Amino acid sequence: MISEDIEMVTDTVEEQAPVEACTKCTACNTVCPVARTTEIFRGPKYLGPESERYRDPHEAAVTAGLDLCSGCKLCEVTCPSQVTIQEYIRRAQNKGAEEKGRTLRDWVLGHTRLLSAFGSMTAPLANFGNRNPLVRWGMEKAIGIHRNRPLPRYQFRTFERWFKRHNPAPPLAGERRVGARRKVAYFYGCWVNYNERRLGEQVVAILERNGIEVIVPKQQCCGIPAVVNSNMDLARKYGGENVRRLARLPEDVDIIASSTSCGLMLKHDYDHLLEIPGAAPVGGRVFDICEYLWALHESGELDEHFQPVPTKVLYHAPCHLKSHGIGYPAMRLLSLIPGVELQEVDEGCCGISGTFGVKVEKYDLSMKIGSRLFEAVKAAGSDSVLADCETCRMQVEHGTGAQSAHPVEILARAYGRG
Amino acid sequence: MKFDVAVVGSGLAALIATRRLQLAGRKPVLVWPGLSSLYFVYATVDVLGYADATTTEPVEHPDAAVEELIARAPDHPYARAGSSALHEGTTMFTDWLEAAGFRWQGSLDRNLLLPTATGSPKPSCLMPVSMGAGDLRRPDPIIFCGFEGYEDFVPELAASNLSRSWGRSVRAIRVRLPRFEPGRQVSSIDLARSFEDAAFRQDVSGRIRAAVGSADDGARIGIPAVLGLTHDSEVHARFQAELGYAVFEIPTLPPSVLALRLFDRLRKHLQETGVELIWNAPAHAAELVDGRCARLYLKSAGREQPIEARAYVLALEDAVDGAMRAGTHTIQDPFFHLALSRSSVPTERTDESLFRPQPFASVGYRVTDRLQPAADDGRPLASNVFIAGGAIGGYDPTGTKSRGGLAIATGYRAAEEAMAA
Amino acid sequence: MPDTTTGVVVIGGGSTGAGVLRDLAMRGIDAVLVEKGDLASGTTGRSHGLLHSGGRYCVNDLAAAIECVEEGRILRRIARTTIEDTGGYFVSVTEDDQDWEPRFVEGCAKAGITCERIAVEDARRREPNLSKHVRTVFWLPEDGHLDPFYLVVGNVESARRRGATIRTYTEVTGFLREGKRVTGVVTRDAISGEETTIGCQAVINATGAWSGFVAKLLDVEVKVVPMKGVMVVLSHRLAHAAINRCHKPGDGDIVVPGLSVAILGTTARRVPHPEVLPIEWDEVKLMIEEGALMLDGVTTARAMRAYAGVRPLYDLGAEAEGREMSRNFAVIDHEQRDGVAGFTSIVGGKVTTYRLMAERVTDLVARRLGVTTACTTADVPLNDRADELDQLRHRPAQMGVPKPHGDDDYLKPLVCECELVRPQDVEPWFDDPAVRGLEDIRRRTRAGMGPCQAAICSYRLAGRLVTERGQAGPIATRAMADFLETRWRGVRHVFWGSQLRQAQVSAGLHMELFNLDRQLMADA
Repeated sequence: MISEDIEMVTDTVEEQAPVEACTKCTACNTVCPVARTTEIFRGPKYLGPESERYRDPHEAAVTAGLDLCSGCKLCEVTCPSQVTIQEYIRRAQNKGAEEKGRTLRDWVLGHTRLLSAFGSMTAPLANFGNRNPLVRWGMEKAIGIHRNRPLPRYQFRTFERWFKRHNPAPPLAGERRVGARRKVAYFYGCWVNYNERRLGEQVVAILERNGIEVIVPKQQCCGIPAVVNSNMDLARKYGGENVRRLARLPEDVDIIASSTSCGLMLKHDYDHLLEIPGAAPVGGRVFDICEYLWALHESGELDEHFQPVPTKVLYHAPCHLKSHGIGYPAMRLLSLIPGVELQEVDEGCCGISGTFGVKVEKYDLSMKIGSRLFEAVKAAGSDSVLADCETCRMQVEHGTGAQSAHPVEILARAYGRG
Repeated sequence: MKFDVAVVGSGLAALIATRRLQLAGRKPVLVWPGLSSLYFVYATVDVLGYADATTTEPVEHPDAAVEELIARAPDHPYARAGSSALHEGTTMFTDWLEAAGFRWQGSLDRNLLLPTATGSPKPSCLMPVSMGAGDLRRPDPIIFCGFEGYEDFVPELAASNLSRSWGRSVRAIRVRLPRFEPGRQVSSIDLARSFEDAAFRQDVSGRIRAAVGSADDGARIGIPAVLGLTHDSEVHARFQAELGYAVFEIPTLPPSVLALRLFDRLRKHLQETGVELIWNAPAHAAELVDGRCARLYLKSAGREQPIEARAYVLALEDAVDGAMRAGTHTIQDPFFHLALSRSSVPTERTDESLFRPQPFASVGYRVTDRLQPAADDGRPLASNVFIAGGAIGGYDPTGTKSRGGLAIATGYRAAEEAMAA
Repeated sequence: MPDTTTGVVVIGGGSTGAGVLRDLAMRGIDAVLVEKGDLASGTTGRSHGLLHSGGRYCVNDLAAAIECVEEGRILRRIARTTIEDTGGYFVSVTEDDQDWEPRFVEGCAKAGITCERIAVEDARRREPNLSKHVRTVFWLPEDGHLDPFYLVVGNVESARRRGATIRTYTEVTGFLREGKRVTGVVTRDAISGEETTIGCQAVINATGAWSGFVAKLLDVEVKVVPMKGVMVVLSHRLAHAAINRCHKPGDGDIVVPGLSVAILGTTARRVPHPEVLPIEWDEVKLMIEEGALMLDGVTTARAMRAYAGVRPLYDLGAEAEGREMSRNFAVIDHEQRDGVAGFTSIVGGKVTTYRLMAERVTDLVARRLGVTTACTTADVPLNDRADELDQLRHRPAQMGVPKPHGDDDYLKPLVCECELVRPQDVEPWFDDPAVRGLEDIRRRTRAGMGPCQAAICSYRLAGRLVTERGQAGPIATRAMADFLETRWRGVRHVFWGSQLRQAQVSAGLHMELFNLDRQLMADA
């Protein structure tokens, strides 16, 4: 008998073939922000596991409805059977795009890094253009970027350039050291590089304040804009570059990300969705910044000499943070700071989902998805909302007029920066 | 990650345990393996619908019937949890519902008999007020109203069945829905969202009034549970007023809007009141040190995440949410890798008839008097771990319609024990 | 006087009976088909659906192989919408006897079967799941998947449009006779118990494994050996082409991808009666283990159910047993053999050769009736009329993997979401008196054949028994329960992993959401 013990293999059926595990409980449809908002979306159960049974690599993809999946992954978070619903949708959508071609707009949005690099180089002009109604009207007509969607402000000086000239803070005098000095690699992502350098500066400062040496390896876009714009080859190319570089880091160097979506790509999707060789060991070393700082706290290594920060803020947990499976480290961390009054507003997805809410045909839907969150923010009477994801922050600001910042901002203030 | 008490699960038992810990001033963390549990589909709390799996006589007074059950079966989870856990847990639950903005009704004293979507009377103990008017102990005529294109509630089937068993006036009507073009799929979520809109509701009310005609002044109208996505029963109240008839909701095939309202809101309320939730982290191994659970390992993105707590409440419900995994011969639990059941052939796990009690449904942990998972010799496997909900073995709540009440009683008791551990 | 009269009564609603009915109708002979259950509810509907190229028989049974070759080609012309041209691989694995291969190649050549040896690496490129045990691969492009339900329904509907009628759930309990001549049948409705008589000039016994029982009513003997075969259904196709073991035919050596599933087959055990078909665990296990020798993923795929069918092996009197016995068929002229005029049996055979079997028996009966019209069933397609078999929408002319809804109808409702069955696929059948229960709807539409095994669609279908048929609630509810029970009988044998989890969801729906267990007890 050369066959394997059937008892052993069937025990792990769900892990090996997650599409098999769907029991039609439909929990995914009840949490899907798009299915809750519009009746023109059939929902993750149908588009994911149900349709997957009928997909065949040799046949043309059926793509009806797939583009309305925003990629929030709440279906996967919710599925009790760990069916990788969203991955099936993404793969099918990508196959459709390979067969039928992509729109210019989706091509451009997939190449966020190129776009941002260009925006950054031409920052004053680009920022002017992005705020000029006539230019926006033209952008909407020409490539389908909704005219009302505020586009990120570019900064001329990138984080990369800043870091090159940055002098690490010397270790504090009389500091107690446990074991070897920690060293981390910072995966700053396109957003920090081109749009919010200040956040990157704060991350570096906080880590250095804790006696951690920060290095910034050369890096590429994480690839998530390419994934959600049906360009998995491009995402694989970006991801491959990142994995190659990050894998070369010495083993004791942890990798820190300050964007929950970039972090999730590195941790999980490179390996699972994109199947990039060598991605798993790299993913195992990736930490969200707050996750990492909380681990320092638990091991007694976090400098907790915080100045009080008297503030009352709301916290919105990005959908992709939920996918990390690490709870809410930002909330735990900020609870250590005197004066901070933090209230979570869990009204689900903010609706933007990266580049989803930028598109002309999705903008209204995106705002409608976010409306529950916007109302909750307004009702809470707070003008400040924290979120670990940059596009969530954009959406919250756009939908409520409130200020929005990364939780690290508060921490930086507690350390006397900011 | 370190926590005070870790509660694993997403069902009622997990929520109850978490709430109990929270009210006692402890700092629980809720480890969420994904949203599922079987009462999600109907989302009422059934404490004890039938005294055993074979009687057709519904229980009228669940509290008294549970006392009898405890006296009769000292190993039953109700007995292990104790009737005080059921009473205190239920009180806590109803208070919680109120605090979270729900409008529910019912008490342990009395079951209501509510018609299901097949028109079968079903005893339930606690339910949203939007379902209460369906009580079959009231004599008023019933009109089941379905919606064209909505596949998951067939009023004619429900009416035909109920009229035979109930013996009072029942009939079925169907109305065309505004805004939904014919020949297009309609999901309960689409309907629930539409019913939040006043203009849609009023339009539907008009159509229902026209379909009812003038014959049935005192009638109540049973419709599929689609009256709004939110938990506060406000859409129900408004719709009832607009329609001019008493209206009751009937649970439907999934997606269940009733479940969406209940579990969405209770989870959120826990979060609003400071409980941390770890999403997307199925727990898959426990590490035992000196008779205690030292940590649980979660399958987080990228790596295994150990969590440490003083005590653990494992409140998974069944194989659906990962409380156990079934190989061809062995059913194992995910934490301690105990063989919860062994069978020489898979058919042994089942009865020949689907509608009789199934051996697999009572597979679960053997527990101590304190709800700790027990080894074969009856001794606790881990002194700081407590089991709640459907993962407790030896009973099957399906036939007795007692899943919700057992979740409350065992969830409450497990939390109490976790605090003492 | 019989209650009704016709030209020929065909007993048996499997592929043979359906083929005979169509053949008679096409020759202008008035005919009635009576079937004690539903169409395709016996052997045909429980086959694994392999349209044999003949490769399986070419070494041991050349005549059967040659029939397969010819009939396979004919079926591809006339029954396009029931066939998927998957092609098939014959693979040998490490432990197989190497002597078989040359005999196989020779057999294929003799039978005229296209057979090409290909490198394992090339095969693996086309069929990535081929296991590491595979040693040699032959490609037989004429293997395929034949949907047995649609084949029978297609034949019957074609016959009905030509004036034939069918009566399902109608068991023949006796014969009308004048002397030694059969002049009609006595039937009993399986549900109402009502007895009726149908007068006719000839009766054709096309009841396969049940032939002996029917013949016995006339005190004539037809020896058919009921041979049980167990099959396991996996929830997706796993392979693009049919996979056969290239060895002496044995247990568990076929994997047939068809429509949305793959079927592992099969065993051969002699049973005392064609309706005593116990499914043993060792058989189920064997299917999975043997399937895994050829294909990766068999052990980790979700087994949805197991089922057993019965082969009607005609005992030609040889010593042979089981697979050694011929898969050929025989027309028994009882007038000549037993002196019973007006009664003919058609026995043996297999689904792939059903048409030829029908042609042969119809030739004989037509000749006796003085009808000289030639058989045209090999030339006229089943769907020779407009809108025929519209219910095959998901399996259109270019059969392949059924498709999720395309852009146009993506938001249209579905009754069975697993198998993509729409309301318009099921609704016409509620007008057909031959359709009695929900299993009958399933056979005609595939509703309830997916992973959840009717957990969801059973309610929607039961509702239609009330709305479309005006049945009383308790009867519709009983039909729903019967449907679920029938599914359950197959599920129980693969009760682990996802199917156990599925059963918990299903139990939650039926027992706790609907309170169906109590309703059934109260109704009973």
